[in-house]
Amino acid sequence: MTAEASESIDVAPAAKKRFQLPTDWRSQLGMGVALLIGAVIMLAPFLWMVATSLSRKANVSLPRTPSFWPPDPSFFNYFIATANLPIFKLYVNSLVVVGLTTFGYLFFSSIAGYAFAKGRFPGKSALFILFLATLFIPFETRMIPLYLFMGKLDLTNTYWALILPFLAGGFGTFLMRQTISTIPDELIEAARIDGASEFRIFIQIVLPLCKPTLATLAILNVIWRWNDVLWPLLVTTDRNLFTVTQGLAMAGRSQGVYTGVALATTVMAILPVILAYLFLQRYVIRSVVSSGVKG
Amino acid sequence: MTLAPGSRTYPAGPGARPSLRAAFRGSWVWYSFLLPPLLLILTFVGYPTYLAFEQSFFTETPTGDVFAGTYHFQRLLGSGLFWGALGNTVLLGVAFLVIVIPLATIFASMLNRIRKGSTPLKVIYFLPQLTSSVAIAIMFNYIFQPDWGLLNGSLRAVGIEQVPLWLADPRLSFGGSRAAVTILAVWSGLGYFIIVTLAGLQSIPTDLYDAAAIDGATPLESWFYITLPSLRPTFIFLIMTGTIDALSRFADLWTLGGPGGSPARSLQSVVMFMFQQGFENSDFSLAAAAAVVFFVIVLAVTGIAFWGFLRREFLAIR
Repeated sequence: MTAEASESIDVAPAAKKRFQLPTDWRSQLGMGVALLIGAVIMLAPFLWMVATSLSRKANVSLPRTPSFWPPDPSFFNYFIATANLPIFKLYVNSLVVVGLTTFGYLFFSSIAGYAFAKGRFPGKSALFILFLATLFIPFETRMIPLYLFMGKLDLTNTYWALILPFLAGGFGTFLMRQTISTIPDELIEAARIDGASEFRIFIQIVLPLCKPTLATLAILNVIWRWNDVLWPLLVTTDRNLFTVTQGLAMAGRSQGVYTGVALATTVMAILPVILAYLFLQRYVIRSVVSSGVKG
Repeated sequence: MTLAPGSRTYPAGPGARPSLRAAFRGSWVWYSFLLPPLLLILTFVGYPTYLAFEQSFFTETPTGDVFAGTYHFQRLLGSGLFWGALGNTVLLGVAFLVIVIPLATIFASMLNRIRKGSTPLKVIYFLPQLTSSVAIAIMFNYIFQPDWGLLNGSLRAVGIEQVPLWLADPRLSFGGSRAAVTILAVWSGLGYFIIVTLAGLQSIPTDLYDAAAIDGATPLESWFYITLPSLRPTFIFLIMTGTIDALSRFADLWTLGGPGGSPARSLQSVVMFMFQQGFENSDFSLAAAAAVVFFVIVLAVTGIAFWGFLRREFLAIR
């Protein structure tokens, strides 16, 4: 006993030097455990969904104690889900709609932002206020008249109905104006002296300098448009024009009793977004923080 | 159009033109840049907004619109359904913010102080924010299933046998449908609130904490007396955007309860009310009146928050 005790006294200082714990290791450990529990709570629904979607029996009955591993792993539900819902067609629709709205939104936001940042013309501030005023009109206020208006234009059940209302907006214009304002006037003046047109200056000088803001705007717009369901529900009733989110919403309400199939549909609908997010997470989180706008 | 942007490529040709005209012509370039987005905004934002206001004062008849004065607003404000939907929306919004803001502050503070692993944790917490509300609602529809759902199963696993009915129970209780959708909202919104709060935390100058430490403040004391007051602008921002988001809540509640917000309309929000009246019942004037009231509420929230924010924050700087 005494030998052991004296030995440990001798060893202790050396060991302490080799494995130095932070002085606040207790609070670090406590916070780490709390944060891990939080992360488990955030991930558990996703994992449970994937496990359940892989179980054929889940359509009939589920164990009373939740399981994170399917008792009978198979892709049966996924085959049924793809047979029920033309999911690949929906992907194409979403890609077309999200792609075109994002491209248009970036273009119109930046060209208007350029005019407001660097242009000199009568009525500039009045027009800018008009653009900004759209920020204070919630979409929900105008959705029903807009839906009726689309009907009058004979555009319901077309891609146009999903694209046109979202091509230009106050938020993007404001963000681009702020960014373009920081570009030195000398740069633009030099190009003007060289005889470049304003449009060429915009394309060749202004846009390349705005890449980070354009990326932010693109990420936000993709999240908004991909996840939007309210507007597609109003203007598209044709199954062939459904976006992924709308198709999922309709399927979720009709195939609700078949748990496995419904969850398989959900997994297929969100998987591409989640994969894209995992690759781009740094930019996505930065975009949301820097713009102060929710994804 | 001769005002095509390319025309600027050939500036003031031989024979100088009057400077006023040159300036005027210079303006046209900018007008031509603004024209397409302006037309889009006027057509798809301005005009329908005007229509919403107009429609709320008129009644549609086969022979044309008839002026109805405030009739539709009286109908709206006398409608129990509308007040029910507005009440739900406000209740769900308040419950969400009251839970999510303290929770996000605690989590963000911990993420800010932890030495390792904060990036993967942020990515995980933010994950639901990227997932569509529709997908989350479908997922939670099964998680809240009383017999075999993930939540009740987990409650039973820790020994709670009296499990709530969640979405099947329309009553106003801690185990009812409104509680369930609040859990859903907190789970899916927490990541965004954490990330924004974290950005607020990181903008607090560290010398404040150094000074407090020299004065002998404990970490908890500096959290209470430095961190929380410094986060005030962040909280105002989160409450403002959170309130507006809560007012326009639609997709998840619609997926769970349909346009009527079942069970027993306990999940119907204002936007769902507008959707149901306008789209399903074709009562466009009532939907328009609701849209106008909704617009006024959102504007008031923005105004109050903005005014309060300006008054304290900007006077402090001056």
